[in-house]
Amino acid sequence: MAAPLLELHDLKTQFFTPEGVVKAVDGVSLELHAGETLGIVGESGSGKSVTALSVMRLQRPGKIVSGEVRFKGRDLTKLSEIEMREIRGQEIAMIFQDPMTSLNPVFRTGWQVGEPVRLHQGWDKTRAMGVAVSMLNKVGIPAPEKRAHDYPHQFSGGMRQRAMIAMGLTTTPKVLIADEPTTALDVTIQAQILDLLRQVNREFGTATILITHNLGVVAGMCERVMVMYAGRIVESGPTVDVFAHPKHPYTWSLLRSIPRLDEERHEALKPIEGLPPDLINLPPGCAFHPRCTFKIERCSRDVPALTRVGDTQLAACWVTQSGVEL
Amino acid sequence: MITPLPIDAPVVTAPAAPGQPARSYWQQATGRLRRNRIGVASGLVLLFFVLVALTSPVLAAIFTHTDPRSIDLLNTFLPPLSPHHILGTDDLGRDELTRMFYGAQVSMGIGFLSVGVALTIGAAVGLVAGYYGGLIDGLLMRFVDIILAVPAIFLFILMSILFKPNTITLALIIASVGWGSIARLVRGEVLSVRTRDFMVATSSLGASDLRLILRHLLPNVLHVLIVFGSLYLGSVVLIEAALDFLGLGISPATPSWGNMLTNSETFFFHSSWLVIWPGLTIFITVLAANLFGNAIRDAFDPRLR
Amino acid sequence: MLAKYLLRRVLATIPVVIGVTLITFMLMHVTAGSYIPGIDLNPNLKVEDVEAIKKYLGLDRPLYIQYITWLAGITHGDFGRSMIDGSLVSSHIFDRLPATLELTVTAILIGVLISIPLGITGALRRGSKIDHALTAMSVAGFAIPAFWLGLLLILVFSVQFEAWGLPFLPSGGVTTPGTGGGDLFDRLVHLIMPATVLSFVYLSIWSRFTRSSMLEVLSQDYVRTARAKGMSERRVIYLHALRNAVIPLVTLVGLELPALVSGALVVEVVFSWPGIGKLLYERALSTDYTTVLGITTFAALLVVGGNLLADVLYAFLDPRIRYT
Repeated sequence: MAAPLLELHDLKTQFFTPEGVVKAVDGVSLELHAGETLGIVGESGSGKSVTALSVMRLQRPGKIVSGEVRFKGRDLTKLSEIEMREIRGQEIAMIFQDPMTSLNPVFRTGWQVGEPVRLHQGWDKTRAMGVAVSMLNKVGIPAPEKRAHDYPHQFSGGMRQRAMIAMGLTTTPKVLIADEPTTALDVTIQAQILDLLRQVNREFGTATILITHNLGVVAGMCERVMVMYAGRIVESGPTVDVFAHPKHPYTWSLLRSIPRLDEERHEALKPIEGLPPDLINLPPGCAFHPRCTFKIERCSRDVPALTRVGDTQLAACWVTQSGVEL
Repeated sequence: MITPLPIDAPVVTAPAAPGQPARSYWQQATGRLRRNRIGVASGLVLLFFVLVALTSPVLAAIFTHTDPRSIDLLNTFLPPLSPHHILGTDDLGRDELTRMFYGAQVSMGIGFLSVGVALTIGAAVGLVAGYYGGLIDGLLMRFVDIILAVPAIFLFILMSILFKPNTITLALIIASVGWGSIARLVRGEVLSVRTRDFMVATSSLGASDLRLILRHLLPNVLHVLIVFGSLYLGSVVLIEAALDFLGLGISPATPSWGNMLTNSETFFFHSSWLVIWPGLTIFITVLAANLFGNAIRDAFDPRLR
Repeated sequence: MLAKYLLRRVLATIPVVIGVTLITFMLMHVTAGSYIPGIDLNPNLKVEDVEAIKKYLGLDRPLYIQYITWLAGITHGDFGRSMIDGSLVSSHIFDRLPATLELTVTAILIGVLISIPLGITGALRRGSKIDHALTAMSVAGFAIPAFWLGLLLILVFSVQFEAWGLPFLPSGGVTTPGTGGGDLFDRLVHLIMPATVLSFVYLSIWSRFTRSSMLEVLSQDYVRTARAKGMSERRVIYLHALRNAVIPLVTLVGLELPALVSGALVVEVVFSWPGIGKLLYERALSTDYTTVLGITTFAALLVVGGNLLADVLYAFLDPRIRYT
């Protein structure tokens, strides 16, 4: 297997607040190969967005306190700000959740879409606008030559998100990070955007990291998935396998909690008991153990390491590592 | 402003202290105000000036043993720290400190009266316009537009030459423009409060218009009034002082901080101190009013910080 | 669309114009209704002559006709005549207007040019000593009486500097008397103190406002997007953020446009600046009601016009309004 395009080694990002130190990302390691699609799943506060922002070194006011982010072999955490700027928007692009607020309201859309190539490749306005228009066309915006001169508020939500995707791709980056790209959109539009992301991944070969709290989105789009909880990865593996036989109680509970069409109607919903943990005062041992139905004595003492469980999956759970099936 | 944290960083809130009763909105606000040192300090400064205004004759009797109008042409332009005249004397030999005491009466008197009148009229108009809406709102707000279109200082000067004002009329003159901004402000608040569920609920219980306005709308716009009132106090003191300075305010026979500076260019060559004292007190008073107003605003809505 | 928005705004100003002119007309009638300018000059005028003059001036016609004449006159730039010497108010206005505008426009320019960097600095270095110092200066600047500040500046930079043998600033006027108009340097030297005093209040408010507007913008998502595109922090702040942050400031500055004519009155008096404010003051002291009212009407109409202009500017700058 070729060397990974992007690797994270035990990344730790923390926020220093008056109430204490928030360990938003608490030792995350992952590998992303060229052209792959990886999903990062977790609730609000699980650290998935901060992980992505840390890759881009946009985690301020948080601090990357330890760990490595290797892109094409270089450790991004050690780069100067000027060097990092060359990576941002050109080699690694990121698009965000709410297209309504993520585009600058006072500049024309085509201008914004073309800005990365003007910045990084020194193209002039006309050439950049040309690329912008063709990219808008590729992402499925009708009448792109005209629309490029419109302002963001003149687009619908779905169109705006397409424009954001176009904006991320003009420089043909190696990695595209999409942070909850469909959360702010209607369900029908969500499907279109996901289709678009798949198409982009196929056509351009861009490795894609899709961050979401929605398991359904991951299922439709990502080859591999990582599940995060309380700033740590609790499970990872091929999407098909993780969904078919989850190896961590949290993943297992998440999958169970989704209502299914083929269930008996009189079955009660199965939410996960308890509340998400306080990231300043994490519980000792496994962060999930207070809410876990499988916990054993060891779970409240030792933090489980992410190890291989089964053929293709990694899980951080004492219970499953000892061979118990969920 | 709130430091931007990424979307999934947790919001940390202090847990409620067990066993304590919930405090009312007003109690919480006064608590926050009391803890704001600058706010308390500026409030005390204002209080100080009010007391000086209320007790000027007493203060004069105790500290300076003279009155503000007694002229002494043999002792004009005495410098500060002269015997019997701590702050010196003016161009007619009148004691400066005594005149400063009495000056407080004009500034504080007109200040509070003007604020009171403007707040009352402005609140009434704003409440009615916001509550009833439609034609009444349109008419009232057009009227406010007209009043606010005329430059205030021109209007004050005009009314001053028409009416030759005393303390009360001067306060009313100033308030006659001020109520306009207040009315607009109150109307805005009313519009946002009026559509809330509790208004509809109370109205459906059969409450009369007047009751709704006074008992339910007014308390919710009160905090806006208090904050604006304090800031407006500062503005009134400044405007009134400027009018006095121009000789178009209170009659020059009555000492006021503003008219103590009228034609003071002549003082430059005799005693520059005379230029400093009255202006300094105006500055301190207005500063205190502004800081106090800010403190009240922070106390009522700390999120706006 | 822009046109519809503008049309609505223009229509909304018509009742205000009518209201203002009506009020000034009524005040004029009350104070000087049948007063004939210059009448005191010739005590030998017979009663019939006075009546004839009244008829000639239209003072015997019904009130509403007089009002309409007044209104019609205004549309031609006629704001009445002085009670004292019958001279045209409009000629006085246009004589003095350039001086006032020179002062107020300079003050606004100083205000804008200094507030924006101060506000940006406060926002970028939020919570630092510089930020606290700037905020303190803002709060203080707002509380200083303009006339006092002017007097103090004159005291220091004119009187004391001269006494100490230093080069000193003139204490008043537009140019040095006797130099016949003066050169640019002379005018600047006369302009600097009054313009500074006038800009003080603007600086206090606008720098704080720019700061909070900038902070608000910097916390927006599109700023994060801009950084993610890999541009320099300078570009993020001065192109992407500032362009949004100044929009509300334009509204604020626009609110001052109407006061361009009237706002400088006190400063003009302190610095003997021959502008419209000083004119009104002088005429008020001589109870020349008609001139005072004429100038007031003119200023009020400018306020209304200025508000309209500010709305137009705002609509032009914010594409969300332009293209809806």
